[in-house]
Amino acid sequence: MSDIGFQLIDWSEVGEGTFWLLLTIALYVVARRLQQKSGGNPLVNSVLVAALPIMALLYFFDVPVSHYALGGFWLLWLLGPATVALAVPLYINFSHVRAAWRPMALALVAGSVVAVVSSIVIGHMLGASIETVRSLAPKTVTTPIAMGIAREIGGIPELTAAFVIFTGIIGAVSAAFLFRLVGIKDERARGFAFGVAAGGIGTARAFQESMLTGTFAGVGMTLNGIITAIVLPLLWLYFA
Amino acid sequence: MAGGRPSARRIGSWVLGFVVLVLCLELGNLVAWGAGLPVPGTVIGILILLAGLFALRRVPDAVNDVSLYLLGHLNLLYVPAGVGVMGYLALVARDFWPIVVTLFVSTFLATIAAALTFRWAAGKRS
Repeated sequence: MSDIGFQLIDWSEVGEGTFWLLLTIALYVVARRLQQKSGGNPLVNSVLVAALPIMALLYFFDVPVSHYALGGFWLLWLLGPATVALAVPLYINFSHVRAAWRPMALALVAGSVVAVVSSIVIGHMLGASIETVRSLAPKTVTTPIAMGIAREIGGIPELTAAFVIFTGIIGAVSAAFLFRLVGIKDERARGFAFGVAAGGIGTARAFQESMLTGTFAGVGMTLNGIITAIVLPLLWLYFA
Repeated sequence: MAGGRPSARRIGSWVLGFVVLVLCLELGNLVAWGAGLPVPGTVIGILILLAGLFALRRVPDAVNDVSLYLLGHLNLLYVPAGVGVMGYLALVARDFWPIVVTLFVSTFLATIAAALTFRWAAGKRS
């Protein structure tokens, strides 16, 4: 009661935050092992494998998410600088962008417009609430950027994060089949579509096909994030 | 060279690289806020770092190492975001089927649209 400086830090919160932080890291390490053992199966996604046990713990022990957030906050904060780091692979692979800028620009517009418009239209038609629709709209964008977009357009960033992860898994699992269906063999086209439609998880899957496919996926993912982040909030302001 | 020297230098280099990323991010946030842009500051941060790399015409080792490390462990950083859904279970339960259908159909359509457009545009030029 007397020492105000000491009271500013709630030590019980520090302890609990540290516990959740360490648990998250430990589960992530296990999840990565499992994913490597599975041969990179996109269904064994390390976000899912690490998040589900934590969600179960919170649920069964009736712990509010705000308690988990005491530890999770630090990882979420790191997401900011990590997103900025996307500029590095984009710069390194810029020769690919220059060599194929026209198909990239057109595929980027087509992929992101179809992703955004179709999710708004389908979600709305099936009667989803406006918060859900706003959270669905940026779902093909890589998670950290998508969460920022959701915040800008009045969606729920946490919901968007989950949608991005499931979109990535769906895209990573189904894209090879879809490409066969419409006869896409060009590795650059496959990779770019992987990145634009399935973000980071799609990019990881694309690297399993070949280096070239993976590189194009990474470029597609980053460009899609940048373009959607600039265009979607403006569109939303215009129509809303 | 002393045994501890290279690792100390390496840590210094990591800190430097990390500081560069954080500076780009904060500058991006500042620009987004100052100009009243409805664009996430992270995206402007990417553009600032990209512009810096083009100006330098190379990626400094410090920035390269810490960037590739962070990008290699992005999934760890997504876990708290995923867990955050727990706060919105009622909404997810209410909109469950619209969400599931939208995720599948929209992802299929976007994949096909991007791949077909790329092939069409790449084929036209040659």
